Amino acid sequence: MEIKVLGISGSPHRHGNTETLLDSFLEGTHASGGTVEKVILNTLQYSPCRGCNACHKSGDCIVKDDAVILYEKILASDCLAVASPIYTMGITAELKGFIDRQQYLWARKFILKTLYFSDDHIKRHKGIFISTAGLGWDNVFDGAFPVITALFNTTGFEYYDNVIANDMDRYGGVKKHPAALKDAFEKGGKVVGVIEKLKTI
Amino acid sequence: MPIKVLAFAGSPRRHGNSELLLDWVLASMSTEREVSIEKIALTEADINPCRGCNACEKLNKCIQHDGMDIYHDKIVEADCIILSSPIYCMGIASQPKALIDRAQVFRSRKYVLRLPIVPPERKGKRLGVFLATAGQKWSYVFDAAVPSVKCFFHVIDIKDADISYLMINGVDEKGAIENHPSAKTGAENLGKTVISEIKTRLAS
Repeated sequence: MEIKVLGISGSPHRHGNTETLLDSFLEGTHASGGTVEKVILNTLQYSPCRGCNACHKSGDCIVKDDAVILYEKILASDCLAVASPIYTMGITAELKGFIDRQQYLWARKFILKTLYFSDDHIKRHKGIFISTAGLGWDNVFDGAFPVITALFNTTGFEYYDNVIANDMDRYGGVKKHPAALKDAFEKGGKVVGVIEKLKTI
Repeated sequence: MPIKVLAFAGSPRRHGNSELLLDWVLASMSTEREVSIEKIALTEADINPCRGCNACEKLNKCIQHDGMDIYHDKIVEADCIILSSPIYCMGIASQPKALIDRAQVFRSRKYVLRLPIVPPERKGKRLGVFLATAGQKWSYVFDAAVPSVKCFFHVIDIKDADISYLMINGVDEKGAIENHPSAKTGAENLGKTVISEIKTRLAS
């Protein structure tokens, strides 16, 4: 059975701490038999949500660009790993710009009632947030969690787990962190197993 | 010298609820003497996201050249900086998030290079205002936006106690805020209070 894993990197940095952590998670899913695709947001062409609310009537976004294509991919995935570094206590503007574009799916769910995810569907679709932060504060990810929750809720994923590591400035990067990359790899492997089990029931 | 107010309208929707809230604050400020106001709609301001290159930690300036070029200086010159944003997906919109992230230059200046943001005589005399609107009625709908906003003001040398907030939830469709029982009065009072406080501080 194919388990489709989609990793989205929302960092403007290529191969920085966050993408490295995402890679480790994705390698873990691959090692457990997942079919992996990684998308670098920075290489796509999309504009932020315009707040025009046209989708509240049509259920479609009037902006035709890569964001809509990526949402179709998200909806076709079993596991969604969304990665962003923490910039000024939140996710990057790139990822926020992409997440805001989900409004057309939100409109389908809550206004037009043309999109519905059963509890069973949500249970079988796992969302993972992957992040690193330079600061060591305990609350450094708090501004990101609600936004990621909104993404997973709207796209029919259970917010399954976080793969997060703070204090990067002190460690000198994620590769020097004692456990982060190993944890990410293990969590990737485990989640594929969990989805597999749920899909065979 | 007039009091300089720099206002960023963060919504991609022009003249919607968060911008109306801002306009009410600015209108009340403009009735005061010696106040000059500049309002910028971020959706038209050509401000790219921060690239996270950290070059500003060495250069003390941003290597990107776009609309932000002029606002780095204007932020330093202003006595009052106002940011308005709608809440999208539980956070501030991506346009104001890009502005906030581009303030990284100030973070580098302040915390890495240990240079002043404003001259000593202006320190503690600047005020910040955050205005937000949200469609949802949840009381916690602004919680994820506030930490980023605080960072923005901290790095431009406006401390927690000098930030005012007016955040109105439960207003979704364009213009809905006009029917809100207290938003307009709250905005007008805020405008007056902030200008009067800046006048007091500048005179001291």
